[in-house]
Amino acid sequence: MTDVLLNRRQFLVSASVVAGGMSLALVSRTASAGTVSEADTVAEFSPWLSIAPDDTVTVYVPTGEFGTGSMTQVPMNVAEELGCDWAHVRAEFASARRDYLEGGPYAIGSQPFFTGHGTDHARMPYALQLGASARERLKAAAAQRWSAAVADIQARDSVLTHIPSGRTLRYGEVAAAAAMIALAEEPALKPQSEWTFLGKASPAKLQLPGMVDGSAAYGIDVKVPGMVYAALLQCPVQGGRLRHHEPEAVMKMPGVRAVVTVDRSGTAGSPVTAKATFGLAETAVQSAVAVIADHYWQAKTALQALPVAWDFGEGADWKTEQQLYDDALARLDEPAAMVLREAGDVTAVTTGRAVAADYLTPYCDQAPMEPLNGTALVTSERVDVWTPCQDSQQAYWVAIDETGAAPEQVFVHRTLVGGAFGRRSFSEDVRMVVAIAKQYPDVPVQVIWSREEMMRQGRYRTLIAARMRAVLDAHGMPLTWDARACQAGNPMVSLPLGFADAVYAVSGAIPNVRIGTTRHPYHILTGAYRGPCYNSHAFMVETFVDECAVAAGADPLDYRLKLLADWDPAWSNCLRVAAEKAGWGKPLPEGRGMGIAIANWPMAGMKQAGSTVCAVAQVDVSRDGKLTVHALDVTFDCGRFVNRDAVLAQLEGGVIYGLNMSLSEEITIRDGAVVEGNFHEYRLLRMADLPARINIHFDALSGHDRFAMIGEAPVGPIGPAIGNAIFQATGKRIRSTPLLKHDLAWG
Amino acid sequence: MTVTDNSINAAASASISLTVNGEQHRLELAADTPLLWVLRDHLGMTGTKFGCGIAQCGACTVHVDGRATRSCMMPVEAVDGATITTIEGLAPRRDHVLQTLWLEMNVPQCGYCQSGMLMAAAALLDDIPAPTDADIDARVSNICRCGTYPRVRAAIHRAAAARNGGQ
Repeated sequence: MTDVLLNRRQFLVSASVVAGGMSLALVSRTASAGTVSEADTVAEFSPWLSIAPDDTVTVYVPTGEFGTGSMTQVPMNVAEELGCDWAHVRAEFASARRDYLEGGPYAIGSQPFFTGHGTDHARMPYALQLGASARERLKAAAAQRWSAAVADIQARDSVLTHIPSGRTLRYGEVAAAAAMIALAEEPALKPQSEWTFLGKASPAKLQLPGMVDGSAAYGIDVKVPGMVYAALLQCPVQGGRLRHHEPEAVMKMPGVRAVVTVDRSGTAGSPVTAKATFGLAETAVQSAVAVIADHYWQAKTALQALPVAWDFGEGADWKTEQQLYDDALARLDEPAAMVLREAGDVTAVTTGRAVAADYLTPYCDQAPMEPLNGTALVTSERVDVWTPCQDSQQAYWVAIDETGAAPEQVFVHRTLVGGAFGRRSFSEDVRMVVAIAKQYPDVPVQVIWSREEMMRQGRYRTLIAARMRAVLDAHGMPLTWDARACQAGNPMVSLPLGFADAVYAVSGAIPNVRIGTTRHPYHILTGAYRGPCYNSHAFMVETFVDECAVAAGADPLDYRLKLLADWDPAWSNCLRVAAEKAGWGKPLPEGRGMGIAIANWPMAGMKQAGSTVCAVAQVDVSRDGKLTVHALDVTFDCGRFVNRDAVLAQLEGGVIYGLNMSLSEEITIRDGAVVEGNFHEYRLLRMADLPARINIHFDALSGHDRFAMIGEAPVGPIGPAIGNAIFQATGKRIRSTPLLKHDLAWG
Repeated sequence: MTVTDNSINAAASASISLTVNGEQHRLELAADTPLLWVLRDHLGMTGTKFGCGIAQCGACTVHVDGRATRSCMMPVEAVDGATITTIEGLAPRRDHVLQTLWLEMNVPQCGYCQSGMLMAAAALLDDIPAPTDADIDARVSNICRCGTYPRVRAAIHRAAAARNGGQ
C-alpha cells in the first residue's frame, strides 16, 4: 500500500518524516527500489531529456496528461530526431518548481504547463531540436570512443553504428559521455518529408497499460504513508459564508480526527510575485467546513452528521435560473459595454429584410469522471501537494500563495488526470486542499470532493445571452450584422472566440459589422469548459446564419459557401465534403431533417489557422416531439496530423462532448444554489444514447503546414447542426440549449 | 479547528471476510462502509474508481461472485464472505482479451472510467459470448465523459469474435 505512488520519478515520503521528523528525506522511488547506481548515472541532456545506461529515454513533459496524449506526443517529437527505439521511451512530469528555480527551462511556447497542446507551434520544433541535439552529442561521444569521424556514424533505433567498421554502441553506453559534450552549433532539423515516425505511426499513449490493469495512478489514487482523509462541504450558495457549526456533535464518531473551517481570510499570500499561469484572482476559497478522519467514508459520514448553518448571501436572491436568463437577456437592450469588432456602419442600412433573434446557452458542468481531490502535507519545513491538475505551474503558485511558503519549499507532484475539460484549470481545488491540510500539519491529508459537492460547487461554463440582427440585400445576403452578447462569466473565461472573430465577420462578405459584449458575472462561479465561450458562440452564430439562409430562401450549405467564397478554401472544402458524405440535398421523409454548421477553435478569424470542424446532422423528430439523432458526418481541417489515431480519438470524443452539451446539459438554480448534484440529475450520454453513426472524415484535411490543436474545435458545430436539422424537420427554430428542453412536437 | 483523539473508536464495527483476487482478508470496520472504500482505503487497491457514489456511472464496477456490481453503494456487510474480482485481478498478466484489444485499439482517453468499463464488459462476455449492440447498451451503461464509447463497443465486438473464433 505504501508503494502505490504516482510514477517512477514521483517522490516517496519516508515514514519517519510523516511521523513528524524534521528533515524530509525524499528519495526517488527508483532509488528506494534498490537501483541507486542506475538512477545516479542517468545522463541529463537537458531538463527535458535524459538517457539511462539501459537506453531508457526519459522525456520530461511540462504539459501533463488528461487524456489527449500530450505526454506521448512530446516524447514522439523528441524521438523523431533522436532516432531512438520507441520501446525505450518514457514520459515524466516536468517540475514547475524546477522551472521557477532554474530560470524557466520549460517556458517554451504558450502556457507551458497547461495540459495538452503536444503540437504547440513553438514547443514542437523545440522538442525536435532537443532530439536532434542529443543525437549529435551521442554521435560525437561515439566518435571520441572510436577515434572516428562523426560523419561516419549513424544513429538509429537507439544504436550508434560506425559505418566503415560496422562497430556499434547502444545509446546508453555513451549517454554519460554525450551529456558532457556541448555542440559547436545546433544541427538542422530534418524536413518533414523525411520524417519516419511523426505522421506515420500512431503509437498508443505511453500510460495506456496502466489504464487497463488499474495501476495507473490518478490524483485520488495517491497514497502517502500516514495519510488521513477529508470530506468537504462549501456554502451551498456560492459566495455565502459559514455562520455556525457544531464540531462536538461529530468528534466522537469513528475515525474522526478534526473538524476544520476554511475561509479566504486564512490565505497567507505569496512571499514573492506569483507567476501563476492564469493569475490568482479566480482561485479564492469559498467558505467551507471539512471533517478529517482516518478513512474517507468516516469523514463523509461525520460530515453528513455535522450541524451547519450558513449565511447564503446575495446569491440566494436569484430564485431560479430563469431569473438569471431574463436578466442577461434584458442587458442586451443596452449597447454592449465593449465593441469587439466594427466595420462599416450597421446603422446606415435602413431598408431590406431584417433577421433578428435572441440566443442563450446555460451554465454547464464539465463533469470529469475523477472527482476533485488532492493530497497535501504541510510542515514547517516544506509543502508537498499531489494533484491531478491541468496546469502544475498554476497549482504551484496557488500552493505557495495559500501557505506563504517560499517557492523553493513547495513541491507539486502532478498525477494523471481523470478528465478535466477545463474544470481543473485554475487550481482553486488545490487551494482548498492546502487550506485544509495546513490546519492539520505534519500529516498528509487527502481531500476528496463528493460528486454532489463537486457538481454544486462548480466553475461552470459561462452563461451567455446574445442578440443578433442582420439586414439582407435583394439577393438575401447580409448587408449588416449587428451582434451583442452578455457573458455571465469571470474575465478569464469571457472569451470572444468564435464571436468577435466569427468567420462571417471577417470573410469580407458582410460590409457592415458590429460585434460587442458586456461582461456581467453573477454569483455563480465560472471557469473554462472545453472550448470556452466558443462552444456557445458557435451555436449562436451558426444558428443565426441558418436563419438568414432560410429568410433568403437559400440552401443553408450554398448560403455558407457564398459567405465564404473569398475565404480560406479549406472551410468551403469542409462544408462540401461533409455535405457530400452525408448525402446533403437528397429528399427526406417527413419528420426528418439535415442541418449543417461549421466553426473553428481557436482562430476562426484567420485563414489557415486553428482547427476548422464542420458537422452535418441527420435527425428524426416524431410528431409528439421525440428527437433521434441518426448520424453525424464530421469533416475537419487542422492542417496536418502527427498521430492520426490520436486526432481521431479527440474528434470522436469532442463530437460526443458537443452532443451531450447541446442535447441535455444545464445547471439550474433554486434560491441561489445549484440543483443538480449527480448523474441522475445531470444527464451524461451513455453508450445506448449515441447516434447510430458518427462518421469522422479525414478527406477535407488541407495539408497546410500546421498541426493545430484538435480537442476543442469539434465541440462547437454539433449543437447548431442538430438545431438546424430540427428546424428542417419541424419548422421549429431552437435558439437555446439544451435542445431536449424544448417542445419539439409538430404537425 | 477542533481536534479529537478518538481515532480508534470502533463503534458500529463489524468483522468481515472477503476474498479479493484470490487473497483472503479479514477486516474490522463499520458495517455500512461501501465495498469501494474497503477496496481503495483499507486494502489499498486503487484500480477501482470513485465516480459518483450512487451507482450511476459504473467507475466502481467489480465482480462479486462473478456478477458485475457497482461497489460504491454496496455495504461491505452485504458481501461478507463473497469472492471479489477487481481490475487488478481480471487477468494476472494483463492479457484478458479485452485488455489486449483495449491496448491495440487505443480505447482509453483519460482512462479513469476504464477499469469499470472493462469489468462491466468482461462480465457481459462471460454471460453472453456474442453480445448484440443492444446487449452492450444494456449491460455496459457506464459513463465515459471523454467519449470512448465507439471504441468500447467496437472492442467488445472484436473480443467476442476473437473468443468465439478461438474456441
